[in-house]
Amino acid sequence: MKTRFSWLTVVLTLGALPFGAVSPAWADDAGEIATLREQIRLLDQKLRVLERNQQLRDEAATAAAATTPKITINDRGDTFASADGANSIRVRGLVQMDARFFGADGGIANNAFVLRRARLITEGQFAKNFGFQLLSEFGGSSVSILDANLTVGINRALQFKFGKFKSPVGYEIIQSDSYIFFNERSIVTNLVPNRDVGIQASGDVFGGTLSYQLGVFNGLADGGSSTNTDFDNGKELVARVFATPFRNAAGSPVQGLSFGISGSTARAKTAAGRSSGYRTDGQQTFFSYNPAVIADGENWRVSPQLDYRHGAFGFIGEYARSTVNVRPTATGSRTELTNRAWQATAGYVLTGEDSAFAGVMPRTNFDWSAGTWGALELLVRYSDLRIDDAAFPLFAAAASNADEAKGLGLGFNWYLGKSVVFKFNYHQTQFGLNALAPAVPTALLLRQDEKAFISRFQVAF
Amino acid sequence: MKLKTMAILLAALAGTFAATAKPVQLLNVSYDPTREFYVEFNAAFAKFWKARTGDDVTVKQSHGGSGKQARSVLDGLQADVVTLALSGDIDVLHDNAKLIPRDWQTRLPNNSSPYTSTIVFLVRKGNPKGIKDWDDLVRAGVSVVTPNPKTSGGARWNYLAAWEFARRKYGSEDKAKDFVAHIFKNVAVLDTGARGSTTTFVQRDIGDVLISWENEAFLALKEFGKDRFEIVMPPVSILAEPPVTIVDRVVKKKGTEVVAKAYLEFLYSDTGQEIAARNFYRPRNEAVATKYASTFAKVQLFTIDEAFGGWAKAHQAHFADGGSFDQIYVK
Repeated sequence: MKTRFSWLTVVLTLGALPFGAVSPAWADDAGEIATLREQIRLLDQKLRVLERNQQLRDEAATAAAATTPKITINDRGDTFASADGANSIRVRGLVQMDARFFGADGGIANNAFVLRRARLITEGQFAKNFGFQLLSEFGGSSVSILDANLTVGINRALQFKFGKFKSPVGYEIIQSDSYIFFNERSIVTNLVPNRDVGIQASGDVFGGTLSYQLGVFNGLADGGSSTNTDFDNGKELVARVFATPFRNAAGSPVQGLSFGISGSTARAKTAAGRSSGYRTDGQQTFFSYNPAVIADGENWRVSPQLDYRHGAFGFIGEYARSTVNVRPTATGSRTELTNRAWQATAGYVLTGEDSAFAGVMPRTNFDWSAGTWGALELLVRYSDLRIDDAAFPLFAAAASNADEAKGLGLGFNWYLGKSVVFKFNYHQTQFGLNALAPAVPTALLLRQDEKAFISRFQVAF
Repeated sequence: MKLKTMAILLAALAGTFAATAKPVQLLNVSYDPTREFYVEFNAAFAKFWKARTGDDVTVKQSHGGSGKQARSVLDGLQADVVTLALSGDIDVLHDNAKLIPRDWQTRLPNNSSPYTSTIVFLVRKGNPKGIKDWDDLVRAGVSVVTPNPKTSGGARWNYLAAWEFARRKYGSEDKAKDFVAHIFKNVAVLDTGARGSTTTFVQRDIGDVLISWENEAFLALKEFGKDRFEIVMPPVSILAEPPVTIVDRVVKKKGTEVVAKAYLEFLYSDTGQEIAARNFYRPRNEAVATKYASTFAKVQLFTIDEAFGGWAKAHQAHFADGGSFDQIYVK
């Protein structure tokens, strides 16, 4: 029995040997696999948790973006807008510092540094369709509000504007001060009203190829701006249509051709109804009515306009004809006078950027270290303003007023960036005298051509 | 002659009524897991209202975390009725904007809660982590999914259920706080609403246990299969009483007061209670509750009033800025 047990023990032991030798290895592998599986599961969970948390963060960010107001600060001003863009306020500014030098004028005008404009512009919209604009001027001898108006937008084709803003009679006058070719607008601007108080309907129709303005204003004399006071009961009706018929003809040489016509009609009575004076490109007065002259009766204006842009080339042309009924004194006989002016201005951006009504956008800003120079633009302008011969001598003294001014302007603009520009302009104005004028006019300005060199440093945003 | 005149008048009157039958639209701003319930309920109510008045009523639904939904209404969302997860979220409509009267909760039976629910655990099939009670949620290696109590009404019920369990078992508020803090240490993802948490657990396969509304857990089983998940009913939980009310300021402005009231009253009708039960809400109606008794496990339930002295106190102590949740979660 003992022997049999021993044999059995030996057999079982031998039989178990192969298994005994292998099974610890199997056990190790299985344990390792289980461990690895658990590690993979944990890693998988961690990855899933990370992904889900990122997804939740993205959702939260999207939800937050839908309600977080947006602040934009760039070269178009500082804008604070609601998340949906329906409400916004934008703060802009314009500062123009001039250096004016006059040559061979006998000391009529002082060479001077002038703070031409220093403006703070606040504009915005509420509930998407209601806009406002407040434009304060700090550049003159006193602070004034140049523009203050509200806009109600019905749709693209119909918007209403209430308050004080530019009367849409002239062409260059409605272009922003920041973007005009030369430092000063041409002498044509003398014959159209500037900022007036009134109501205007405007809009773009036919896919934006035609725009219109139709307004009723208090009424202004040539070149005048409203002081928020109306001197008579008459109102001025202003209308303008302007077409850009080929704007959708991409690549066509006439794509940038625009033209239009504007006009105004009103009845005026009082001295405020006639112009207080016409100025040269150098901003000196070359014609003004006698102080006793009053407007009495109908006055009207018409102004055809042309704008052409093709790449770096830009051109504007406008003509203005202003007719006013005036009396030399309150009891004098009434006379109808018509003054006329026109201008043609061309610009070419040497660095290749597009010429545009909304200014030149340099491809690069001036940066000495980067070797970039901004944009350079060459300008030329010719303009002419003729006073009605009938104005002399009853309404204006022939000895001290010109009956014509012809202006030639040459300019060079250096855009250091969209917001910062140096402008260098030379203007020469030749005066014509009425037949009744003496050989040597009493006004020193009229004895020779005006030669003005006006340079400007401008910051506009 | 008189009869003829009367007939003409009646006909004219009927014509007037026919002419005034008009489409009505309500907006029900609700919390996350009620989507499916209100889809079915709204259809039933529209049928009921059409039969009763001849008017076509359409009920639009808005769902999200209960707290977030309340803030949307405060911010101007034109809700005719709100059906939120807890009365505290509705109270703010009075407290912050006087959109409803202070006593809004007394206007309908059962504190304006037409159905109840409770908090359960949804675990993966076979319950691999052996989760049976609240204690199991604090074990190391157990990954818990629950929404954020700051934004989700359901999450607040979850939080308070855990808190009261621990307070009863371990005997003090401090220990309850410590217990809940341990649960939140095991929380991997904090969604803003209950439905988001369900998505995290069920569709993203994250976590070992989802602390969930009972009806949401049942819905997960129904939608995704009993072969993937199972419900664990803890021995003790909280009686969740989601309340409802009309938003007085809105319904008066929109002229929908009558239909909005009828809408909420319909929740208490046999039809409304039946639909609630079918969607795994515990009905108030005894007969309907008896009919669906087998659906809902018997469990020891405590109320918010018993355990915390009402929602106002619970909110102040736990969910207001600087409350216990802030103290726990900042840690």
